[in-house]
Amino acid sequence: MANDNEIIDNIANKEYEFGFVTDIEMDVAPAGLSEETIRYISAKKNEPEWLLDWRLKGLQAFSRTKLPEWQNFPLPKIDFQKISYYAAPKSKKKYDSLDQVDPELLATFAKLGIPLSEQKTLAGVAVDVVFDSVSVTTTYKEKLKELGIIFCSFGEAVREHPELVRKYVGSVVPHSDNIFASLNTAAFSDGSFVYIPKGVRCPMELSTYFRINTENTGQFERTLIIADEGSYVSYLEGCTAPMRDENQLHAAVVELIAMENAEIKYSTVQNWYPGDKNGKGGIYNFVTKRGICKGANAKISWTQVETGSAITWKYPSVILQGDNSTGEFYSVAVTRNKQVADTGTKMYHIGRNTRSRIISKGISAGEGQNSYRGLVQIGPKADQARNFTQCDSLLIGDRCGAHTFPYIESKNNTATVEHEATTSKIGEDQIFYLNQRGIDSEKAVALIINGYAREVLNQLPMEFAVEAQKLLSITLEGSVG
Amino acid sequence: MTPQDIPLYEEVVNGFNRLSAADALGRESSDLRKTRQSAFERFRESGFPTIKNEDWKYTNIARWLKEEYALGGLPGGAAAGGADAKVMDENVRAAAERSRVAELDAYIVLLVNGVWQKDAGVGAVAGAIPAGVELLTVAEARQDPALSVYFERPTDGKERYFTALNTALFSDGLFIRVDASALPEKPLHIIHVFTGDRNLLVQPRHVWVVNRQAELKVIESVVTPAYAEASAGETGDGVAAGGNAKIWVNSLTEIIVHTDAKVDHTVIQTPGEGTRLVQHTTVRQKRQSLYNNYNFTFPGSDLVRNDLQIRLEEDHTETHLYGLYLAAGQQLVDNHTLVDHQKPACFSNELYKGVLLEQSTGVFNGKVYVHRDAQKTNAFQQNNNLVISKKATIDSKPELEIFADDVKCSHGSTVGQFSEEALFYLRARGIGEETAKGLLINAFAFDVTEKIKTPAVEAHVNQLINQHIPVSHA
Repeated sequence: MANDNEIIDNIANKEYEFGFVTDIEMDVAPAGLSEETIRYISAKKNEPEWLLDWRLKGLQAFSRTKLPEWQNFPLPKIDFQKISYYAAPKSKKKYDSLDQVDPELLATFAKLGIPLSEQKTLAGVAVDVVFDSVSVTTTYKEKLKELGIIFCSFGEAVREHPELVRKYVGSVVPHSDNIFASLNTAAFSDGSFVYIPKGVRCPMELSTYFRINTENTGQFERTLIIADEGSYVSYLEGCTAPMRDENQLHAAVVELIAMENAEIKYSTVQNWYPGDKNGKGGIYNFVTKRGICKGANAKISWTQVETGSAITWKYPSVILQGDNSTGEFYSVAVTRNKQVADTGTKMYHIGRNTRSRIISKGISAGEGQNSYRGLVQIGPKADQARNFTQCDSLLIGDRCGAHTFPYIESKNNTATVEHEATTSKIGEDQIFYLNQRGIDSEKAVALIINGYAREVLNQLPMEFAVEAQKLLSITLEGSVG
Repeated sequence: MTPQDIPLYEEVVNGFNRLSAADALGRESSDLRKTRQSAFERFRESGFPTIKNEDWKYTNIARWLKEEYALGGLPGGAAAGGADAKVMDENVRAAAERSRVAELDAYIVLLVNGVWQKDAGVGAVAGAIPAGVELLTVAEARQDPALSVYFERPTDGKERYFTALNTALFSDGLFIRVDASALPEKPLHIIHVFTGDRNLLVQPRHVWVVNRQAELKVIESVVTPAYAEASAGETGDGVAAGGNAKIWVNSLTEIIVHTDAKVDHTVIQTPGEGTRLVQHTTVRQKRQSLYNNYNFTFPGSDLVRNDLQIRLEEDHTETHLYGLYLAAGQQLVDNHTLVDHQKPACFSNELYKGVLLEQSTGVFNGKVYVHRDAQKTNAFQQNNNLVISKKATIDSKPELEIFADDVKCSHGSTVGQFSEEALFYLRARGIGEETAKGLLINAFAFDVTEKIKTPAVEAHVNQLINQHIPVSHA
C-alpha cells in the first residue's frame, strides 16, 4: 500500500475530461430574477396566460421561502440575482435533419461520445437534445408518433398539447414544494415532455442529454412524463458540463406520473463538472425528482449514477398511492476532491400492498463527502406495505466521509420495514486475493468497485451501463484502499 | 407557541432571576456560577425544543408544556421555588419497597425528587456502603472546591434545551466516587422516587466518577408512588404520580469511566401516569475502559425521553448499549443514543428493541459518529420494533456519520409484526393465541434481557415484562 497517496493524488489531480466551451452565439436574458424576467421568458416563448400565472405563483413562493439548513454540508451562498435565467441558441429555425444542425454543436456531442447519427442508426435511441435551454433537434419523433407517443420539448408540448401539460404539470412537485422547485417553476426554460398512451409499450429508450453552456447561466429544466394505463417507458437522462470557474446552479424538476398498471423507468448518469481539486467551481445540482404511482399495480423505478457536480443534492422519490404499486431506487454516488453528495430517496406508502426497494451505494475518495438520506413512510392505510433498504458506503483515503440518515416512520402494524447499512474500506484481503491471481492492484480495485456497484449498474439499460462503468473507472482509477 | 407563551418557561426565567437577585448561590464557586449563568442564557435563547428541531422531530412536548409547573428543589433551597421535597410518606416508602429487586444483595440508595434520604431505612439488608465507594449528596459536593470542578464544565459545548436548563438550576442528586482499583463487593441500587402535591419540575444532577481499574455496578429504578385513589390501575407501578399532580423530571447524569475501569449500568423506568421523564446521560470513557448500559422502559408515564451520549475520549474502549422499550396507552417513548468515536480502536455495540402496544409511539434515534482520528473503529447498531397495535406508531432513525476510512460500521433497523408462521406453529400445538403472542413478545425481548449479567435483575425485568404484556389490549 506504499503508493496509496500517490494514487489518491492521481485521482485528485485528474482533469475533467469533458471540459470545453462551445462557441455558439447565444441569446441571453439580462441577469437577475424578478417579475420582469419571468414575463420576458414567458413572452420570449409565446406562452399562454395560465403558464405565466403559474410561473408568477412560483416566483412568489420562491421569494417567501428560506434556504434550508438541515443538509449535511455548508450551503454555498448563491446570488440568485446574478444568474441569467434564459439562454437559447440564436438560430431559431427548425431542422429537418441532423445535417442542418450547427456543426460546432454536433462536434460537442461527438466529444462527449454521443454522436446523434450513430445513436439514431445503431442504438435506436431517440434523443431530445437540450442544448442550454431550448430543444434543438428531436429524432425519431415520427416513428413514435405512429404509436401515439408524444416525446417533445416542454415548450412544444405547451403549444401542441396544452390540456395535458396544464393538467399534470405541478401535480407531483407543486410550485411551493421547496425553494429550488419554486425557482424552477418561476424560471424554467425548457425540458422534455413524454406522454405514453394507454396500453402502449414504448419500443425504444427515450433519452435526453443536458448540457450547461453559456457562462453564468443556470439551467432549469422541467421534465414531465406521463404513462397512461398499462403503458411502459424507459427514459434516460445523461449530462456532462464544460469546465467553468464560476459555480453554476442546476435546479431541475422531474415529475413522473404512472397510471394503473403503467411502468416508468428513469435512469440518470450525471457527470456535471465537479470543480477542481481545491473545490473551486463546479455545478450545484439541486434537483427535485418525484414520481407518483397513481393507479393500482403501477411501478416507478429510479436509477442514478452520480459522479459529477460539486454538490449533488437530490432525493428522487415515489408516492405509492395505488394499491400494489411498487417504487424502486438504485443509486451509485461517487465523490472525490471536495465533492459533496447528499442524496437518497423518499418512499411514501399510501396504498395497500405497496412495495419499495432502495439500494444505495456510496463511494467516497479524497475529501469527498457522501450522505444517504432516505425516508420510508408507511401511512395508516398501507396494509401489508413492504420496504427493503440497503445502503453501503465505501471509503477510500482517510480524509473522506460517509454518512447515513435513514428515517423510518410507520403508522401501520402490518407493515414490514427493513433497513441496513454498512461502511467499510476495500478489504486488503480482497486485493491480495486478486493480486495472487496476477491482477495488479489498480485493476483489482476497479473490479471490486464494479462488483460493489453491480446491483445498481445492472438496472441501467445496456448503452448506459457501458457509459456508467467507464465513468466509474475514470473517476476512481487506481484507488487502492 | 413562542417560548413566552409557555408558563414553565416564564417560571424558569423568573426563578433563575430571583435566585441571582437573592444571591442564593453564594457558597458556590465563581466558576460554577459562571457555568450556570451561561447555561441559563443558552436556555433562555433556545427555550423548550419543538418538532422543528431535528432531535425532537418526532417528540412533540407541546401538549405537556401547556400545564403549569412549580420549580422544585432550587439550588438556594426553598427560598425561591417554595415547598418541595415532600419527604418520606407511606406511599413513597411503598414505591421504594416495590422497586426492590428480589434476591439481590445490593446497597440501596433512596432518592426522593433527587434528594438522598440517608436515614430512610429502606431495605433491612442495606448494610454499610461498600468499601471503596464514596457517596455524597450533590448539594454537598457542589460546594466542595475539590469536587465542584465536576459541575463547572458543561457536558458539551453546545448544550441547550433541557441540559442547559438542568445546568442552570440543578440543586441536588447523588455524587458517587469509586477509589482506584476498588472492587466493591456488592452493587448499588439507586431508587429514584418522584412525587409532589402539586405540579413540579424536578431537576436532579448526578455525577459518578469511577477511578482507574475500579468497578462499579449500578441498578437504577425510576418510580412514582401509587396513591390509594388511583391504585386501581392494573399495571402495578403505573399509577398517578401524586394524586393528580404532574411531575416533570429533567435529570442529568454524568459518568466518568477512567482508564481500565468497568461500569455496569442498568436503568429500569416504571414511573406512572402524569410523569414526564427527560433523562440525559453523558458517559466519558477513558483508555481501555468498559461501559455497559441496559435500559428498560415500561408503560405508565406519559413521556420518556432518554438521551444517552457516550463519548469515547481515549482509545481501546468497549461499550455495549442494550435497550428494551415497552410502550402502551398514549405513551411516547423516545430513545436517543449517540456513540461518539473520537479515538482509535474503540468498539461499540448497540441493540435496542421496542414493543408498541395500544396508541403508543416509539422513537429511536441512534447516532454513531466516527471522527477522522478514530481509525480501527468497530461500531454496530441495531434497532428492531414489534408493532402490536394498529394505532401504534414507530419512528426510527439510525444514523452513521463517518470520517475515517479504516472502520467497520453497520446499522440495521426493522419494523414488523408477529410472524404468522411462528404464531401458527404455536397454535397448532394447542397454545392459545394470547399465550402464543405473549411467548413471542418474550422471545423478542429475550435478545436484550439475556444480556443482563446479574440473574436477579434479569428475573426482575422478565417479571416486569410479563406484567406489562396485556396482549388482549392490542
